[in-house]
Amino acid sequence: MSLRRHRVIAGLAMAALLGALPVAAQEAKVPVQEFILDNGMKLVMVERHESPTVSAGWVTHVGSVNEEAGATGIAHLFEHMIFKGSRTIGTSDYAKESEIMARLDAIRLEMEAEYEVMREMKRRGEIAGSIYLIENQTPRLAELRARMKALEEEQKQLIVKDEFDQIYTEAGASGLNAGTSNDFTVYFITVPANKLELWFWMESERLLNAVFREFYSERDVVREERRMRVESDPTAKFDEQFDFMFWGSLPYHHPVVGWPSDVESITLAQARSFFATYYAPNNITAALVGDFDTEQALALAKKYFGRIPRGAVPPPPVVTEEIEQLAERRMAAEAETNPSVQVRWHAVPFAHKDAAALDVLDSILNGRTGRLYKSLVEEKQLATGEPSSSFSAMKYGGYLEVGAELAEGADHRQVEEALLAEIERLQKEPVGERELQKVKNQSLADSYRRLQSNFFLLLQLMLYDVWDDWRYLNDSPARIQAVTPEDLQRVATTYLTPTGRNVLWYSRKAGTDEDPELGALSAQGKAMAKQALAQINQLSDPAELEQGIAQLQAMAGQAPPEYKPAIELVIKRANERLAELQAAAGKEQ
Amino acid sequence: MRRAMTPTAFVLLVAVAALAAAAEIPDRPEKLVYPDLSFEVPDAAALRFELADGTPVYAMRDSQFPLVTITVSFRGGRYLEPAGREGLAAITGDAWRSGGAGERSAQQLDEELDFLAANLSTSIGEVTGSASLNVLSKDLEAAMAIFMDLLTAPRFQQDRFDKTKDNMLQAMRQRNDDAEDIEDREWQRLIYGDGYWMNRLATQASVDAITASDSKAFVASLVRSGNLVVSVAGDFDPAAMKALLDRTIGTLPRIEAQLPPVPQPEHRPAAGVYVVDKKDVNQGRVSIGRLGFREGDPQEFPLRVGADILGGGGFTARMMKRIRSDEGLTYGAYANLDFPVSMPGTFRATFQSKSSTCAYATEIFFGLLGDMRAAPPTDEELRTSKASFIETFPRRFASAGQVAGLYASDELLGRDHGYWTAYRDRIAAVSDEQVRDAMAAALDPSTMIVLVVGNIEEILQGHPEHAARLGDFGEITRLPLRDPMTLEPIAQ
Repeated sequence: MSLRRHRVIAGLAMAALLGALPVAAQEAKVPVQEFILDNGMKLVMVERHESPTVSAGWVTHVGSVNEEAGATGIAHLFEHMIFKGSRTIGTSDYAKESEIMARLDAIRLEMEAEYEVMREMKRRGEIAGSIYLIENQTPRLAELRARMKALEEEQKQLIVKDEFDQIYTEAGASGLNAGTSNDFTVYFITVPANKLELWFWMESERLLNAVFREFYSERDVVREERRMRVESDPTAKFDEQFDFMFWGSLPYHHPVVGWPSDVESITLAQARSFFATYYAPNNITAALVGDFDTEQALALAKKYFGRIPRGAVPPPPVVTEEIEQLAERRMAAEAETNPSVQVRWHAVPFAHKDAAALDVLDSILNGRTGRLYKSLVEEKQLATGEPSSSFSAMKYGGYLEVGAELAEGADHRQVEEALLAEIERLQKEPVGERELQKVKNQSLADSYRRLQSNFFLLLQLMLYDVWDDWRYLNDSPARIQAVTPEDLQRVATTYLTPTGRNVLWYSRKAGTDEDPELGALSAQGKAMAKQALAQINQLSDPAELEQGIAQLQAMAGQAPPEYKPAIELVIKRANERLAELQAAAGKEQ
Repeated sequence: MRRAMTPTAFVLLVAVAALAAAAEIPDRPEKLVYPDLSFEVPDAAALRFELADGTPVYAMRDSQFPLVTITVSFRGGRYLEPAGREGLAAITGDAWRSGGAGERSAQQLDEELDFLAANLSTSIGEVTGSASLNVLSKDLEAAMAIFMDLLTAPRFQQDRFDKTKDNMLQAMRQRNDDAEDIEDREWQRLIYGDGYWMNRLATQASVDAITASDSKAFVASLVRSGNLVVSVAGDFDPAAMKALLDRTIGTLPRIEAQLPPVPQPEHRPAAGVYVVDKKDVNQGRVSIGRLGFREGDPQEFPLRVGADILGGGGFTARMMKRIRSDEGLTYGAYANLDFPVSMPGTFRATFQSKSSTCAYATEIFFGLLGDMRAAPPTDEELRTSKASFIETFPRRFASAGQVAGLYASDELLGRDHGYWTAYRDRIAAVSDEQVRDAMAAALDPSTMIVLVVGNIEEILQGHPEHAARLGDFGEITRLPLRDPMTLEPIAQ
């Protein structure tokens, strides 16, 4: 799973606590209980007794932003490893297994040395493509791989496959999953209310006694995940490069899933040190929402999580700050997608005092009564669908992005100008009172809507605590209500500057849904030619086809000039089809 | 607020903590002892009432938040689209909400609803449709007036209608961009046949032909007393709500004749391997399966458990264990057997693997399927699967909205509410041998369709270290890519 980095405006009231029907404008708070265990682990809890379940999770304050060069993707790899069990779960004989794992590590070290030889060969141009491809492996590497494979087979005999999942599933838990982002790695599940102790047992076990079994084979799964999410997706591979272009010095520039070369080369030693630093209880926030008793849950937390020792060294801070962007950057991609324009500016981190104004600004632009739709779709008719704005704020930085898909006949330049015109308007004119009030009304209603699901509330508590503090849940509605037209004008001017622009144009790759000759035609010509070609392909009677060609030739003389190339192409194709049909008929006879 | 506890609570807490610390932590989770938990299915009859005109309503209160939701569901959908008007249901569902109603232009209606912070949505699906309003309870009366206008006097304003059609065409242009979309479309064709209503898809010509009056007439024919079920959830006063509904939704005109039933597929799918070439991806998408069953089939419950053990239950299922965990050949591997109420569903197993290992992964899948048909599942598998179905069952009833919505959809589709009260017992009654027998009877590999979308030349080559090739699983038929706008085959 991949959680998007979208900012969520959080919640307001818990009516149950008020004991009476709440009034929408009234500000109440979600009754969150916070405790800090002796080992530094934070626990936040909200009791709700509507359904006999508990949504439970923990988040560790580590994501791809904490990764070092050469080890990108390690945070995400952990998301996979943490499901592999412990010294008790997932094995029939841990002692024997750990012996095998030590031998695996030794072989892997020898492989690392050989990979370094191969990297050298690649730099000299003696190997083309990835050093991890089977066709590129040296005899020495092939031998080491075979030894590794044999050992992995041996270990497999001792592994109890996915026992961690099996225990939860049999207990009636559901939605066991995890997600990795730039700033966090989160693990969550929903359990029946009577089985909360199982959650404490399982989660403390995998933190206390983690075993990274199948460490080297799991990266094949991660490679397939990347193939599915990024490489085989029409636009994701370009979006990845746009992200890379957008971020300067801040380590948000590399993909969460990691660079393929790095993921293949992460070692178990790196993994152990990463785990010791970032999966220590002092770097974790756990949360519960649902049908439980707070005091009992706290007792269980002390009993189970309390036994995990505090980390030896505190996690190092992220010290690199984003470098100021001095000039506009542009990227033009040809992909199998509808043409579109996106413009992105650096904004502020999640906890920043200007974040609320940027949230409101975002809403002023969005939706069918938002400014982008009114201007680009209704007035200028340059865009289709709903043009969108999104303010994405993370722990160390954020951005505002506006984008639109081109209407037929519109060009990229016009759409970009129209998007920028709306930004300029925000800078020059104060937003009207009713327009601002509309956004505030929606924010208020949405803040109730967002509290309705236990699981979603759980997720908000955990992520806010990573980005800022879980108290954001109760504090943010007031911040939104306090935003003034002057604030909007100020943030628009401060952050959405001409030199800070990052522009992405998508064009439809010529010849992806059609052949290149069709792609070269005008829009009207193309539509006509496509329909005609489809009909021609359906015809199987040469006589009918000949008749059609004659008609087309007659038409060609009188057609308006912009249709001429299209008609010529259709005639050419019809003749080719005719030749095919005649050849086929000849064969049959 | 670091700790907000009363002194008494704190004393109690210390006592509880002391007790807990005294207890040993067991070395295995199986040794944990849990308190009992019982869950009763909410009584559908207690939530149901009828409006004066006979329209059934399921209403469930939950005053935790000052929000209320009213949903009007109706029979009828895509299966009713006239020939040459493919796309009518989807276009109508979208343009309905965006096209204004009664005295309000589209733009006025949007502004008013947004200012009220009301969410109003309309949609028309395969066999049913709905219009739904979610609003702060203090604003219900104001929003309800707009909602009623939308039900009785939708405008389908021309500029917005054209936009909806443009958006539809724009989405259609993307039909071949993502291999997954090609896979889903061709799968449906292979299983249900070209002529089945489900495969009569919108084309440029059919979208061009659809007019605002078509949509107006479509809505007017469906949103009628005798064809509706209403569900209400959230913060409301029951008596006031009944009065409000009687005065509004209870006054709709009566349906003239009941709608025709959903046609059943007559196509007999031809087993074999079907491939669609998509050059610029490095991963093949594989679907394997056959036409399935309707809800209520005598083998429904053994098959549900069997499919779950084979490929339904995430990481505990055999497909994930073998194809992902053991072999690292895929990120996801699932088998799904759905049981729709109105027509037979499908059995469909899916995974995605790099081009060279698609055939090998397919071979492993058929091995797993063979095992399911030859021998009963293990005790542990059966226990885990059944427990998961039974223990997660209450989650279908987790909120007032879910309960009211579920019972309304039962009545709309003609499902007996008793299906839910019997559900856990029927799962519990499934035996290991029933699973084997049901899987053996229903899922004969010689009846299976294998569909592969990806770089076909690479996929056909297979992998140097594995013998499996796609041709091992049946005769290979190359399916043409289709023009996204006409859906006619593109000559390649």
